[in-house]
Amino acid sequence: MARYGFVIDLKRCYGCYSCQVACKASNHTPKGIDWARCVPAEAGRFPAALRQMVPLVCMQCAEPACMEVCPTGATQQDENGIVTVDKELCMGCKYCIMACPYGARQTVEKWSTYFPHTDGDLDPYEAYAKRAWEQKSGYGMATKCDYCMDRVREGRQPACVESCPAKARYFGDLEDPESEVSILIRRERGFQLNPEFGTDPSCYYLPPR
Amino acid sequence: MEMKAQSKWSWLVSAYLFLAGLGAGAYAIGVLAGFAGGEWAGISKIGVSLGFPCVLVGCMFLIGDLGTPSNFWRAWRRPDTSWIARGTIIISIFMVLGVIHVAFWVWPFHSLEDANGARNLVGVLGIIFAFGTMIYTGILLGAARPIAFWSTAMLPLLFLVSALSTGIMAVVLTSSVTGATHGVPLARLAWIDSFLIILEILVLFFYLQATHRVPESRASAKLVLTGSIAPLFWAGVVTVGLVVPLVLEIFAVGAATGTLALSASICGIIGGLFLRQVVVSGGIHAPLRAGRFEIALPA
Repeated sequence: MARYGFVIDLKRCYGCYSCQVACKASNHTPKGIDWARCVPAEAGRFPAALRQMVPLVCMQCAEPACMEVCPTGATQQDENGIVTVDKELCMGCKYCIMACPYGARQTVEKWSTYFPHTDGDLDPYEAYAKRAWEQKSGYGMATKCDYCMDRVREGRQPACVESCPAKARYFGDLEDPESEVSILIRRERGFQLNPEFGTDPSCYYLPPR
Repeated sequence: MEMKAQSKWSWLVSAYLFLAGLGAGAYAIGVLAGFAGGEWAGISKIGVSLGFPCVLVGCMFLIGDLGTPSNFWRAWRRPDTSWIARGTIIISIFMVLGVIHVAFWVWPFHSLEDANGARNLVGVLGIIFAFGTMIYTGILLGAARPIAFWSTAMLPLLFLVSALSTGIMAVVLTSSVTGATHGVPLARLAWIDSFLIILEILVLFFYLQATHRVPESRASAKLVLTGSIAPLFWAGVVTVGLVVPLVLEIFAVGAATGTLALSASICGIIGGLFLRQVVVSGGIHAPLRAGRFEIALPA
């Protein structure tokens, strides 16, 4: 029993997209699906404009809006607070995509190749990724980040955390007051994105400079 | 920062919302006409008969929008929290009652034709679920809280009024085409419908007016009133769907001719579909906020 969470330090992120690429490489997500994303944000107006990169992952909310609206029971929350989609139960109604405030859920209709100018079969690496994806998830159903639970079970960190060269991402147990993430949230005034939706996200951000 | 409208729910969803509303509206009008009796009997039969097939075809559109349609039958499993599950149950009961109601008139149950008590009981139950169907289509969208354009109490009301109005027009259209009824009831229906259209114009006005509170619904309103959806809204919803049928129906009341009522109905019904499409395609997710920074979600 734990409550797995993320801390993302906005003052450290410089927008290299390593998280996005590492996620794709690790989870074999098809073209058009990015469970970890890095999006640019702006504040103010010229000449006092500011730019900030904001990495996004599934917030693994304690009160997930996606689970609330899911009509089939495909969306479930495990004992560690990770929200998952049962691919056998999901009917692909996309209601969760509408209800999630964080854009964490995505769906694709088919595998479209990353290399459209090559003829014929997929190259062996892409064919492997396609098989791996079809085993894990598939087409038509909702898909989402699960904080790399396969890796975490082996004692490793999620792919995006491991790959971040700026050390802007931390992963750990929010319920343990002595964990690195809990200490960071307390000491550096970590905050959640859009708490007004009442989903109690498990992903915290440390303020930008 | 540019906010983009949702693109994952297509026109198939709009078609479903439209047909579910129209079918339930026609059925409700049919049952009410049945209670009036006398010269309204023909209208009643048409209205009640339209309920089941329209909603069924609507459901086909919705199933067509699913990513994994073979799993559609699981849609009812979480009625404790999900409005799709609740709606599936409401609409299924409605369809069953709709079939039972029609069965009173057809072979081999013809002997039940005069079983008015039983039919009225089915009608009363059916009308409850018909209203449930009409209202739920608005609540369904509203449960997506990050989309402020949908998450408003005005939407169920807007869809309810539109459903009743398109329901009446479907009845008028069907009876004009089949020549089943004419004269007083049809003119009376057009008269009632003109009031519903005036009400719908008011509700639509207040619905759009209520979008001023947050940036994402202001962006939706802008998209609908002056942006890429504006042609569909002004030409399709306002002109074809509301103004033309209203004018035609006001003339039709005086003239009591079928052609005017027929044209009004066709326009109004198409307008009802456009209304759903404007609402569905105008939905915009709330931007994320990190301190001073606002982040538009990637589409």
